[in-house]
Amino acid sequence: MSSRGPMRLGKNYPHPPSQQQQPQQQQQPPSQFYQPTAPYPAANNYAGDFGMPQPQIPPSYGGDFNVPQPPPAPSHNAFFSPQTAFYAPPSQQQIPSNQAMPGMEYLSSNPLFNVGLNVVEQGMKDFTGKTVNMLPNEMKKSISSIKYYFAVDQAYVFKKLCLLLFPFRPRNWSLGYSADEPVPPRVDTNAPDYYIPLMSAITYVLVAGLVLGTQDRFTPEQLGMHASSVMVWNVIEICVLCFTFYIFNVQSKLRTLDLIAYCGYKYVGMIAALSSYLLTHSLFVYRCSLLYVSLSLSYFLVKCLRLQILPDTGGSQPYGSNGNKRRIYLLLLVVILQPFFIWYLTRHLIVD
Amino acid sequence: MGFSFYSVIEAALLCINAVAILNEQRLLSRFGESGNQYTTGYADEFHQTGGAKQQLLTLIRSVRTVMRVPLIAFNIVTILFLVLFG
Repeated sequence: MSSRGPMRLGKNYPHPPSQQQQPQQQQQPPSQFYQPTAPYPAANNYAGDFGMPQPQIPPSYGGDFNVPQPPPAPSHNAFFSPQTAFYAPPSQQQIPSNQAMPGMEYLSSNPLFNVGLNVVEQGMKDFTGKTVNMLPNEMKKSISSIKYYFAVDQAYVFKKLCLLLFPFRPRNWSLGYSADEPVPPRVDTNAPDYYIPLMSAITYVLVAGLVLGTQDRFTPEQLGMHASSVMVWNVIEICVLCFTFYIFNVQSKLRTLDLIAYCGYKYVGMIAALSSYLLTHSLFVYRCSLLYVSLSLSYFLVKCLRLQILPDTGGSQPYGSNGNKRRIYLLLLVVILQPFFIWYLTRHLIVD
Repeated sequence: MGFSFYSVIEAALLCINAVAILNEQRLLSRFGESGNQYTTGYADEFHQTGGAKQQLLTLIRSVRTVMRVPLIAFNIVTILFLVLFG
């Protein structure tokens, strides 16, 4: 399979003719929202050659959807800037199967949030005589870059979960890019996100409590202990991996935030193994499901990270030469750590 | 299992303390480095082993330089906490 680098998928999004009807719902001039055609154009390319690159249309993404604010300054003509990638385009909300996660939007799209910030700033200015920016610029930038990872919808979550549990179908694993920025996960199934790791980590804590309850070992402190140990092991794993990346001096396209996302996908496997043990109470079934989950997660991670850690030489040089060996070892380290953690974090719950 | 967040903080503090009390001269003589590491130590990523050692030494030196003063404060605070609250 040809492992090319990030594919610059220029997507020809047809500008819908009904642009003029939308401003009646908003107070802003019509701006070009991203209107996907169903099915997604990227879904038709499966593990094949991409032919000639299509011309890229850089439309200017207008203002925010709910918040009456001036349009975000950075990357004005980017197709998806981090601040605006979060909001679902209006046409998608009419399709019930593609609704964005309801809980996530309230915090950031709430106009009162910004109003509250402004009020506090005004109060501080009156009190101290000088303006203190309540959220410094770096925090705003990191908040908006984390918002990118939460731009998911139900179709993406479903596809990703199926992919985590059965990644063996031949498909295209490369990430989509638009105007040099990665496309948000709502559009591209291959993009990492934070929603699935977060929710599956919380679900793992609850399922662990359930398993303990069936064994009459449950106390409420166990929930807190499991939650804190999940966080601690995550922190340790990320620190070890970042340290190894730094020591080996590997410059890759993989950011730390992406690595956190990829390391969080193992909780899905943990939940699958634990639920299979819950249903059958047999050690054999648990071990089989552990094995299968480890295999599928390793396959998934190798396919995902191969394009990001290993350099895209296009097959011109054999593997193992130059600095590739270190990167391969690093990839192997990431991939081997995950099944180890799955086994280690579930074995104390299994009693026979 | 049974990790609390405090144990992570404690472990990190102990590790950074260990890095801070290293003796540079013995370390460098053990690694076989000499004073001209800024000129000959430049290894691009194609070099197999030199880069890793260089990165590690750079990391150790930078941690020692940065964390020298805050480490004193952290240690004092931790000692007070452990003495008062056990």
